[in-house]
Amino acid sequence: MPVLAHRRDEIERLCAKYPSRRSALLPLLWMVQEQEGWVSQDSMREVADIIGCTAAEVYEVVSFYTMYNQKPTGRHHIQLCHTLACAICGSAEAGEYIKNKYGFTHGKSMSDDGRFSIVEVECIGACSNAPAMLVGETLYGDLTPESIDSILGAHA
Amino acid sequence: MPVVEYEKALLPNIASNETEWLKAYEAGGGYAALKRALGMTPEELVNIVKDSGLRGRGGAGFPTGMKWSFLPKGAKPRYLAVNADESEPGTCKDRPIMEKRPHLLIEGIVCSLLAIESEWAAIYIRGEYYNAAKVMQKAVDEAYAAGILGDNAMGSGKKAHIVVHRGAGAYICGEETSLLTSLEGYRGYPKLKPPFPAISGLYGKPTIINNVETLACVPLILTRGVEWFKSYVHEKSTGLRLYSVSGHVKRPGVYELPMTVTMKEMIYDYCGGIRNDHDLKFVIPGGSSSQWILPNNLDFALSVEGVASAGSMLGSAAIMVFDHTVCPVWAAVNTSAFYRHESCGQCTPCREGTAWMHKILMRIENGGATMKDLETLINVAGDGRPNTGMISGKSICALGDAAAWPVGSALKTFRHEFEEHIKLGYCPYKNKRYWMANGKFVNETFEHKPTWGAHH
Repeated sequence: MPVLAHRRDEIERLCAKYPSRRSALLPLLWMVQEQEGWVSQDSMREVADIIGCTAAEVYEVVSFYTMYNQKPTGRHHIQLCHTLACAICGSAEAGEYIKNKYGFTHGKSMSDDGRFSIVEVECIGACSNAPAMLVGETLYGDLTPESIDSILGAHA
Repeated sequence: MPVVEYEKALLPNIASNETEWLKAYEAGGGYAALKRALGMTPEELVNIVKDSGLRGRGGAGFPTGMKWSFLPKGAKPRYLAVNADESEPGTCKDRPIMEKRPHLLIEGIVCSLLAIESEWAAIYIRGEYYNAAKVMQKAVDEAYAAGILGDNAMGSGKKAHIVVHRGAGAYICGEETSLLTSLEGYRGYPKLKPPFPAISGLYGKPTIINNVETLACVPLILTRGVEWFKSYVHEKSTGLRLYSVSGHVKRPGVYELPMTVTMKEMIYDYCGGIRNDHDLKFVIPGGSSSQWILPNNLDFALSVEGVASAGSMLGSAAIMVFDHTVCPVWAAVNTSAFYRHESCGQCTPCREGTAWMHKILMRIENGGATMKDLETLINVAGDGRPNTGMISGKSICALGDAAAWPVGSALKTFRHEFEEHIKLGYCPYKNKRYWMANGKFVNETFEHKPTWGAHH
């Protein structure tokens, strides 16, 4: 099932911005992920046809960059930072709080209703507002139990 | 002690949460530097930047004008890659530039394109910076619509194009050769140097890679003058600098200050001291790859030379402050976990060495380690200086060094605590974490919770 067929003009404009077509690979994968929420193997084949490389080459790139989701995520994907600056300001405790609240455990990173999924990530560049997390594309810093309640409560 | 206030040239709007769009930027005198640059020859531009003493703000501190002059004469096309892959843990200074003053960066890029006689630049923004990428794209669109960018930039007949390109969560892509391979659409594997990117970079063409903050300084040098820029000087470090301060200070944030400010002033005056007036345990002065510094050694200037004299490095000017509740072994575990995860896997010493360090450190922290483990760890990590141990200096890029130095310096600085962990068989800090005391994870609130950047 092609996912980018209706965006061919946009894709050609994107490829034309670069001196080499291959450079559009990462942006194309982002395009897929923003539209579908994740990057399936079918869409990797599709992207390979657009770029003019093999599907294996696309998979090689997808598997290197941690932000491309190779599995479907929840409607709101939480990326919680656990690197040093956040860790010393309580990111582990923030993680525990979120996990208890939505029933995430080892091997279960998506809530039953598909509303939230969570992943612990390395530094997200919000160190002076630690602890911090991304919900979807939005950054939230200075987390407290109260602010987590109100932030996640606002994501239906 | 009263806090000395300095002007804010890069980010006068740091306390605001609003983006300064084209109209406001031009009303405040924006794009005057570009108009001036269009009347100058590339050599004149390079010489001005050379005279200013501007050094790279990304970590290595290499003189920018000198880097530009390495481009081989006459070789075209040539490219500019803007390093906005700010990934060094502790660093969060380029994001406010992109989110709050995107046109300062665009002006800096176009001035630099003129200086290096290039027509095409890419801004490589790390994947986690969704908002910064959106703001930059909108600002670039504004600049195209206003004729600042395009095939006839500012009516000069010269071409200037900027592409906003997003990474996807790889720390290694902040390394310059890795950034270029990633920009070409491949796995972000670093390449051996030489050839340096100035000779053979993006698509094999001469390429200059500069940090966001470095390029943002260029318009300021052109409008305010070389003398103004050099009026802020400590040894060979000139200009104002953005410091990202995080951890256990009362007022964490991004601070724009001259490099004459000392570490002590930064922590106790500008940042208000340690939270709840705890004792200071140690400081990391330049991102998580720099060597740790003890509280008895804080009277050094926050310049490249000043921090080097204290036995560490300024790096990306990311200061992390740790109070006495932090276990140094645990902090080393966290740091080594980061580098283990982010090693690209190309070179064996780094791929295997980062994993070894992390595993041994976890064993020390969680119990089950022996004194022999400590020996192995020292053997692998070295003593925090370049080319010691089994990783540093033995990999293609500097990630190996970045991973080994903090562990080596932690061992040197807190050796007795590592030994104590091994003797006890557990971490004596467990259950002492103050923020866990009443079941809340931040039970000691900072005296002032700023939106990031604000420090007034």
